[in-house]
Amino acid sequence: MTPDAEPLLVAEHVSVSFSRKRLFGRGPAVRAVQDVSLRIGRGEAVGIVGESGSGKSTLGRLLLGLIKPASGEVRFDGRALQSLSRAEWRALRQRMQIVFQDPYGSLDPRRRIGSQIADGLAIHRLVAPGLLPEAVNALLEQVGLDPSHAERFPHEFSGGQCQRIGIARTLASRPDFLVADEPVSSLDVSIQAQILDLLDRLRRDLGLALILISHDLAVVRHLCDRVVVMYLGRVMEEGPARSVLDAPRHPYTRALVSAMPRIGTGGRPTRILLPGEPPSPSAPPSGCVFRTRCSFAIAACGEAVPPLTQTNHDHGVACIRLADLP
Amino acid sequence: MRRLRPRLALPALLILSLVVIALAVPFLGLPNPVRQDIPNRLTGMAPGALLGRDEFGRDVLSRLLWGARISLFIAFTATTIAALAGTLLGLLGGWFRGMAEFLSIRLADVILCFPPILLALLVVTIMGPGVATLILMLSILYTPGFVRVAYGEVLSTRNQDFVTAMTALGATTPRILALTVLPNIASPLLVQYSLTLGAAIVVESGLSFLGLGVVPPTPSWGLMIRGARATMEQAPLLLLWPCLALTVTILAFNLLCDALRDAFDPKSAAGAGARPKPRLVDCLAPGLFPSRVDPGASLSVRGLTVEIDTKRGVIRPVDDVSFTIGAGETLAIVGESGSGKSVTVTGLMGLLPAAARPVAGEAVFEGHDLLRRSPDQLRALRGARLAMIPQDPMSSLNPVHKVGDQVVEAILAHRSITRPAARAEALALFRRVGIADPERRLDAWPHEMSGGMRQRVMIAMAIANRPALLIADEPTTALDVTMQAQILDLLADLRRETGSALIFITHSLGVVAEIADTVMVMYAGQVVEQGPVASVFAAPLHPYTAALLAAVPQDDAAPEPIPGAVPPPHQFPQGCRFAPRCGHALPPCGEAQPLRQFGNGREVRCARAGDLRFGRAAHDA
Repeated sequence: MTPDAEPLLVAEHVSVSFSRKRLFGRGPAVRAVQDVSLRIGRGEAVGIVGESGSGKSTLGRLLLGLIKPASGEVRFDGRALQSLSRAEWRALRQRMQIVFQDPYGSLDPRRRIGSQIADGLAIHRLVAPGLLPEAVNALLEQVGLDPSHAERFPHEFSGGQCQRIGIARTLASRPDFLVADEPVSSLDVSIQAQILDLLDRLRRDLGLALILISHDLAVVRHLCDRVVVMYLGRVMEEGPARSVLDAPRHPYTRALVSAMPRIGTGGRPTRILLPGEPPSPSAPPSGCVFRTRCSFAIAACGEAVPPLTQTNHDHGVACIRLADLP
Repeated sequence: MRRLRPRLALPALLILSLVVIALAVPFLGLPNPVRQDIPNRLTGMAPGALLGRDEFGRDVLSRLLWGARISLFIAFTATTIAALAGTLLGLLGGWFRGMAEFLSIRLADVILCFPPILLALLVVTIMGPGVATLILMLSILYTPGFVRVAYGEVLSTRNQDFVTAMTALGATTPRILALTVLPNIASPLLVQYSLTLGAAIVVESGLSFLGLGVVPPTPSWGLMIRGARATMEQAPLLLLWPCLALTVTILAFNLLCDALRDAFDPKSAAGAGARPKPRLVDCLAPGLFPSRVDPGASLSVRGLTVEIDTKRGVIRPVDDVSFTIGAGETLAIVGESGSGKSVTVTGLMGLLPAAARPVAGEAVFEGHDLLRRSPDQLRALRGARLAMIPQDPMSSLNPVHKVGDQVVEAILAHRSITRPAARAEALALFRRVGIADPERRLDAWPHEMSGGMRQRVMIAMAIANRPALLIADEPTTALDVTMQAQILDLLADLRRETGSALIFITHSLGVVAEIADTVMVMYAGQVVEQGPVASVFAAPLHPYTAALLAAVPQDDAAPEPIPGAVPPPHQFPQGCRFAPRCGHALPPCGEAQPLRQFGNGREVRCARAGDLRFGRAAHDA
């Protein structure tokens, strides 16, 4: 396969589990991500949605190589992440970056923001030391901040501004793949729109491949080309954002979409209330992990993990009762 | 930084002069500190010997200053060695974990097992007393403290997002440790340094006093105390000088390091947490003139104004807020952070922080003004007639009590029934709020429950005493959407059943549309628009309401950001507070705007209300 034909990032059947240390031995393993495959092309935006405990953040860190998969493979630009040497790794890091949820926690409170933004440039020697201030100013302007703020500390900025600084820092190393983990969920709605706007503009201008991890379906629908719906570490449904979120097929996606509070009354699907709580990820149900809360579940759902069935163009649903659903 | 200088100046000056004196002692032309003058022993203050002479006739002032030189040298050297070694070990142990962790932490534990005096005796026996021995001994003694502090801090720092960000940038480990981790663990290490320095001076003196440290006749404060003890009855002042020197030195070090720690913290440097002082007088007679009260209302608030004294002057995070809510109604308060939503309701509940006080207005609830009730009366109301559902169910439940017991306590606090009766009621409440398997869940600990379940427990607690008014401050913000949907349904059901009024604070306009009858939009401490939800959302009158609605991504319309941010309370504009961010501002907006009636129960605070059209109305026009 030539590098051009392969998408920028490919994950194949990746799984990861954590276990807690106990007094004697280890506790039960939490299966955070199970058998997930994903492809992201250059300049493409993919949303990962799901509730807390669905493994979406773990998947994001897995794709960045910050966590090693227990099984499966992640390839970036045709190269398997596991096979890289330390030096190769460090060089590759430059091209993949992360934006965090907590705008304050992601910045070092004790360093001026200018020097934090300069880190990416300095580490990878992208700019001569003498030209660093200029480059930092350019980055600040790119994210819509005043270059004169470079000498300030993070606490002098609002949440939205800190998020812009975090984005400027990731842009410093000139990445072509960005994972944004709930980048707007701790911001006011007015500021959310500013940051979404910025991310969208950067993606178009710089050709960034973007993974947007979010629980807000409206945000994902607005920003992303494709969406992956996760529940308890597994992919329930994936496909083009509009077709998945406007006409969800999987019972879980339907419940998720119907639960989103909406301002207008028109076009609102009747709310599907999921009974009970999500099961513990350390003891997921057999077969389909969603079956314990699914109103369409039958005995066969507990027997085998349902495969992701393609319905049409790129739209996959992991449900054996797909044909019987209303 | 500037405001901290006076705090830093005094101890810094003291230490600096100590160090300068210690360094300059040989050049001060003092009498030889070891030259004896037996005939003049124990003479008092006199020219030539300002502080008198000791039991061998040696000059006390000279010995005090030379002693400072020795004591400071030993303490500084030993502490610095211990700090460097300990920090390095702790840093490596905390960062690499595994073998490095085992070696550094266990080594520290082993040293900590030895009583310091035993360790000193051991080292002195092997090496003989003297300055070098003392330094070695003190360094070994104090290294574990630094290892422990550094290790603990590294463990909590290494999982911070900004450290992960450095890893994601591809920074090398030494770079991360030196530039990111070390500065963030520096302040506890500085405190440790100050404590250790003080302790080292004391231990050095103590060991010298016992004859295990500095060898006579070398001058040292410990030896001076030792000598003065023998002649305490003839010359008590001899004991005073070295003790005074010790006290002042240690005090100066502690003050310096406290000030240093604050100075190194960029946040406290800017004075972010201005601590105002409350003025009792203002709490006693806020707003004396009651105004129109709606008799059918559950709660009627008129002109509520809250002030806080800060170093930058008096701020008004809530300014002239009025609203009415009837039994069985739901009022949603929306606005960005900093708009005053939470201060408004905490003001009503009497739960404002000490620095804040309601300075005007009234809040009539069941015939009484909440703002003028005594703290005891308010306490009796809270949890009974007035209940609150908090935002974060995890931190609102006591982690060391079973959830059932917490609900039982909430019932018993306001009603005199037996404990078994209260428990039976708690069981019924758990069933009512939809907790599966309620018998077993009564005995569950908070950490065994999910966020949604914990919020149900909080709701059970809030409705336990059948409140007439429920205040929910962002009750679903911490929850997933499917859980949020369940909780919103539950709250709507409860309100229908019990007829209690509900005030719902949220920043999610979608949630408002789901649950509320009326909505009150706040901006920068003021109400900018209020009215029935359906009509406000369909045709907002205030540009801010319209902008908030447009900022929510929905359907195919791209969300439109509102430029800028809510100004902090000390920078509220003179005129319309939203004008600087408003795309429709005109010259009249430079003047303060009143809240105007607009028909159909709607009110708006905008100079251009009526001539601007937003929302569906704009499309129809």
